[in-house]
Amino acid sequence: MSQSDIRKWFMKSHDKGKGNGSTDSKPAKPAQPPVTRVAEKTSQAKSQPEKPVQASQENSGRRKTSKYFSKDKPKEEEPVEVPSKRKNQKDLDKSDKPLPGKKIRIAESDSDDDFILPNSKSSDDATPKKKLKSGSGRGIVQKRLAVDESDGDDVEDKEASLKSTGRGRGGRGGSGRGVVKKPLNVDESDEDDVEDKEAPLKSTGRGRGGRGASAAAPAGGRGRGAGRGGFMNFGERKDPPNKGQKEVPEGASDCLAGLTFVISGTLDSLEREEAEDLIKRHGGRVTGSVSKKTNYLLCDEDIGGRKSSKAKELGTTFLTEDGLFDMIRASNHAKTPALESKKSMDSADVSLTKKSPQKVETKKILSDSSLTKNVAKKGLTSGASPAKQRGKSTQYSALTWTEKYRPKVPNDLIGNQSLVKQLHDWLVNWHKQFLDTGSKKTGKKANDSGAKKAVLLSGTPGIGKTTSAKLVCQMLGFQAIEVNASDTRGKADAKIEKGIGGSNANSIKELVSNEALSIDMDRSKHPKSVLIMDEVDGMSAGDRGGIADLISSIKISKIPIICICNDRYSQKLKSLVNYCLLLSFRKPTKQQVAKRLMQVANAEGLQANEIALEELAERVNGDMRMALNQLQYMSLSMSVIKYDDVRQRLLTSGKDEDISPFTAVDKLFGFNAGKLRMDERIDLSMSDPDLVPLLIQENYINYRPSSIGKDDNGMKRLNLIARAAESIGDGDIFNVQIRKYRQWQLSQSGSLASCIIPAALLHGQRETLEQGERNFNRFGSWLGKNSSLGKNKRLLEDLHVHLLASREYNSERETLRVEYLTLLLKRLTEPLRVLPKDEAVQEVVEFMNTYSISQEDFDTVVEISKFKGRPNPMDGVQSTVKAALTRAYKEGNKFRMVRAADFVTLPGIKKAPKKRIAAILEPYDDEIGENNDDQVAVSEDDSSNEEDLEGSAVGEKLQQELQSLNSKGVQVQVDLKGSGNSNGKKTPASRGKNNSSASQKKGAGGSGSGTKRKR
Amino acid sequence: MLWVDKYRPRTLDQIMVHQDVAQNLKKLVTEQDCPHLLFYGPSGSGKKTLIMAIICQMFGPSAEKVKVENRTWKVEAGSRNIDLELTTLSSTNHVELNPSDAGFQDRYIVQEIIKEMAKNRPIDTKGKKGFKVLVLNEVDKLSREAQHSLRRTMEKYSTYCRLILCCNSSSKVTEAIRSRCLNVRIKAPTEEQIVKVLEFIGKKEGLQIPSGFAARIAEKSNRSLRRAILSFETCRVQQYPFTSNQSIPPMDWEEYISEIASDIMKEQSPKRLYQVRLKLYELLVNCIPPEIILKRLLYELLKKLDIELKHEVCHWAAYYEHRMRLGQKAIFHLEAFVAKFMSIYKAFLIATFG
Repeated sequence: MSQSDIRKWFMKSHDKGKGNGSTDSKPAKPAQPPVTRVAEKTSQAKSQPEKPVQASQENSGRRKTSKYFSKDKPKEEEPVEVPSKRKNQKDLDKSDKPLPGKKIRIAESDSDDDFILPNSKSSDDATPKKKLKSGSGRGIVQKRLAVDESDGDDVEDKEASLKSTGRGRGGRGGSGRGVVKKPLNVDESDEDDVEDKEAPLKSTGRGRGGRGASAAAPAGGRGRGAGRGGFMNFGERKDPPNKGQKEVPEGASDCLAGLTFVISGTLDSLEREEAEDLIKRHGGRVTGSVSKKTNYLLCDEDIGGRKSSKAKELGTTFLTEDGLFDMIRASNHAKTPALESKKSMDSADVSLTKKSPQKVETKKILSDSSLTKNVAKKGLTSGASPAKQRGKSTQYSALTWTEKYRPKVPNDLIGNQSLVKQLHDWLVNWHKQFLDTGSKKTGKKANDSGAKKAVLLSGTPGIGKTTSAKLVCQMLGFQAIEVNASDTRGKADAKIEKGIGGSNANSIKELVSNEALSIDMDRSKHPKSVLIMDEVDGMSAGDRGGIADLISSIKISKIPIICICNDRYSQKLKSLVNYCLLLSFRKPTKQQVAKRLMQVANAEGLQANEIALEELAERVNGDMRMALNQLQYMSLSMSVIKYDDVRQRLLTSGKDEDISPFTAVDKLFGFNAGKLRMDERIDLSMSDPDLVPLLIQENYINYRPSSIGKDDNGMKRLNLIARAAESIGDGDIFNVQIRKYRQWQLSQSGSLASCIIPAALLHGQRETLEQGERNFNRFGSWLGKNSSLGKNKRLLEDLHVHLLASREYNSERETLRVEYLTLLLKRLTEPLRVLPKDEAVQEVVEFMNTYSISQEDFDTVVEISKFKGRPNPMDGVQSTVKAALTRAYKEGNKFRMVRAADFVTLPGIKKAPKKRIAAILEPYDDEIGENNDDQVAVSEDDSSNEEDLEGSAVGEKLQQELQSLNSKGVQVQVDLKGSGNSNGKKTPASRGKNNSSASQKKGAGGSGSGTKRKR
Repeated sequence: MLWVDKYRPRTLDQIMVHQDVAQNLKKLVTEQDCPHLLFYGPSGSGKKTLIMAIICQMFGPSAEKVKVENRTWKVEAGSRNIDLELTTLSSTNHVELNPSDAGFQDRYIVQEIIKEMAKNRPIDTKGKKGFKVLVLNEVDKLSREAQHSLRRTMEKYSTYCRLILCCNSSSKVTEAIRSRCLNVRIKAPTEEQIVKVLEFIGKKEGLQIPSGFAARIAEKSNRSLRRAILSFETCRVQQYPFTSNQSIPPMDWEEYISEIASDIMKEQSPKRLYQVRLKLYELLVNCIPPEIILKRLLYELLKKLDIELKHEVCHWAAYYEHRMRLGQKAIFHLEAFVAKFMSIYKAFLIATFG
């Protein structure tokens, strides 16, 4: 049957027996939602009669109040009757809410008793009330209620209350909340006009409120228990039931700004990673555990875990996935309607009263986030404040910000306060300890941290090491003498001919040794000096003997020495470390950095949003200096910095970091890998073009692709795997072209085929395939397997050569393995099992002699015939028999006429002597000479074998370590590259090498025997 | 000594299976002029035996006195020096080697060894041959470059050196080389011939062979004489007084592959694919050539496969084998084949059974 026939047949069968492959998957999709979402539908159904508008939006699944709200608003203007119905509907929704809001309800009840249903145990939260209220005063009250409700709150809640006040108009807040009363809307619409004028200035408080409100509403509106109430065990996460079936909304980029989310349990359609990304993309923050600052707990079912209980305790709002979507969508809707009619939420937001901004501004806490939010939302071009900022910002330019905002007092330093303190103490005590009383020195040394004469500050660049050193010196009135990489710091010239000024090193020496004098003279008048050796790990070629000299300087020094380096574990510093008090600076947290950046931004009149600055801080990886530089740079082109700006700008100018292959693979396969840009992917895969493809190949099977959505029978995944596997094969072919024909221009294509395509096809969530396997990427097994293949090949080649040398055999190596080996093995082991000991041993030894099979070869045969999961060929052979065999074979050495040369090789010998040595494999007539040579050869053999094993063992160990490290989630950056390369390169070269060392071996065994074979 | 080697014909006259070829060759050689020869044919058909017999015929018994040497060549290739090492098997009159062992540097080997042989041209005394013979094994595995470099040297030094090339498939030898050689196709022995040989051995060994037993071995041997003799002896080792229904043990790796095949047929999932990968590694590490693995795997799969899929699966097997040769890391392609098969087969199962 021709192929096309088969295809046709396939097509047909698809039609007939549906439920397979891509064909049927399409129909399946639309069909599914109804099933899974019955519960939701029902709730919706109720709402439908009341709200025809809603129906139109139905297709997206769950309708969220806030959602239709924004849309509905315009329409709703006239009807005043709706509210009651609405309330009812709300009620239904509320009934499921898990929030403990009894108090509120009571408060509420006075205004609308009618809608409290008897069965709604868990009451509603603050939001619903708002909707009902009208008037500005109300808003505040409600907020307060909310405060009460969550017992354990403080800052956050205060914030909330402040916000509401800021909002002034309850109406605004209410509308934002989603379910707003009609009257309110009317009010709003009226106000809008007013607002527009004021918008730029006012927006501060409102943005927050509106946003928050919109978020809150869905949570309230959505039935908690709606669909499935599955219980989950801790730590186990199921697939989202409706995975990939909902359309993920795109909203304004900052619509969640300032909100903190915690995700719990399984969501309805999103994987957790997706949800996280979604939130982040829209400006929200995702944290791991519920705290007071958490605004929302995102979960679709109440699993009663720790998070949800804590959330209840704290009164955190619960939010469903659909709620989240709606919040995001709302931001979009808000934009468009805003243009035509001013009633949309956004404009409503803007309509906050004039009073509010002032209040808000006074509250520091609020102002930052809300300010930026406004800005973000509005685009705020016309605002007064920016203009002012402009004015300010034009003034500078003389100083870079890094200098301008260099901390002036130790308290300005970010992070590492304790280290600074330590440094301070050390410096204070230094003179006392080392100069005043020389005799006490020894006694103190043991435990006192001041006992070291120098201090070594280490840490990544830009976190303020130099600054703190200088600051501390300054504070204590020391005169700091800084020597950094721009000075030559070689060994001091022994001959002082050049004079003191001649070489920097000399002057240092001078300084260090002579200071004592000046200090003794008049300590009070003369400023004490400190030598700051900056960038000591940068001492390199030009600074020969620099470290050693530094150490000797430390020993004799009369002044304190502060050394600064980036990498304290650098090989160069090994000796220095012993003489120094070690202080390792840590990176400041992003919050710390962001805080400082905010101060700077404020001082420069730059509007920046907290999230944006945090993002910036994160991107620069704790490097304060770089963050400031970036900030300054950005300030040139914009006066308002938003999250997206930072994101985009730093995508390209982000700090280069060393990326380990594991990290690269994680990223490529990661959940968000689909969003990586091509050049990022190429960068990732090129981070180690040898190792990354191997890791990809090793692990691609483990990923459950996120792109395919529902995959009932695994067919889609299997198809993707097949495609990925083929692409990996392509990569291999590319690699051959690159290496063999040096077509390096193909390297991008190569990495595309070997890394990017497979990863693009399969990126998603990793799952384990074997029990007990850790869910981390494995190290590529190819290297290990290939090296053992190499070893076995070598062994086989030895055997082959021995067989050839016996002159009885003349086939090729491959044939030997494929066809001979089974029989050889039988001939070698079967007698040992079956025959009586002596007879067996004799027979086997005889056989070995005929083919000049040595004992190593015997082991080779056994080794190569072993398969995992199969009985070992040597099973059933008693150890006594084995021992007897060994003995008999050794015995036979004395009389053996045929002695094969040994081809076992020493690994790691680079160049074998190039002597051409004939390996004579022929029988000797003079036995004596033979014997000697032979034994030498044998013994050497053994040792080399051992070394061989050792070598490979080391390699394996390294791999294991890597694996275990990685599996612990530690990023392995240790020289991985080196090892990978060396392993990789070994492959082609190894044969040659081995042989060469083999021939060297032969030197001992065979050199004495130039004889030809005789027979 | 194994029977395969024990009963290997040493001279052209002793040859049992390809007598006609042997006689022709004998004539060729005795007429004092021997062209380059290219032997090709499936494994186990007797190429190597013929070659050795020819050399014996040419140079007499001295050709049997071979020594194994591990030789090093220094090659200047452009700017760099390459050191190459290879094991050779040589007598005074001939050198035998396996240039493809040198990997992608095989072309240097080919050139160097031929030049060198031309240098040490044997002195033409007592009417001995004025040339040496170079036996190159596995020519089909030579890289294209090596084959190209071979064709010039072949001509240039043809006065001093004759080549005997040996390979399984002439299709992988370039046209140019083939046209410079006398091509000798050694076909696989027929089953009858195999049976004859087995019976001959049995007689020599004084064994009782039940009727039909030899035929069964021959059938299982896939028309490889070597295999037939080897499994004949394996049977002998396993159980002597032969019984006519005695099982003929398959090779260890064949068993393993059929295990893999049934694994694949039983379940098609990423997990299974992973397990299969481990098993394939196991085979590779045990030095089973990947082409053979793929071929055998296909064979095993085809046995169990629905007829409608056979064609497609064969197509893909060929496709991936080709890629395997282009590439370097065999496991990638083997795995790709398995993955492809799984996806085809699973689609088929779902389509058929729902």
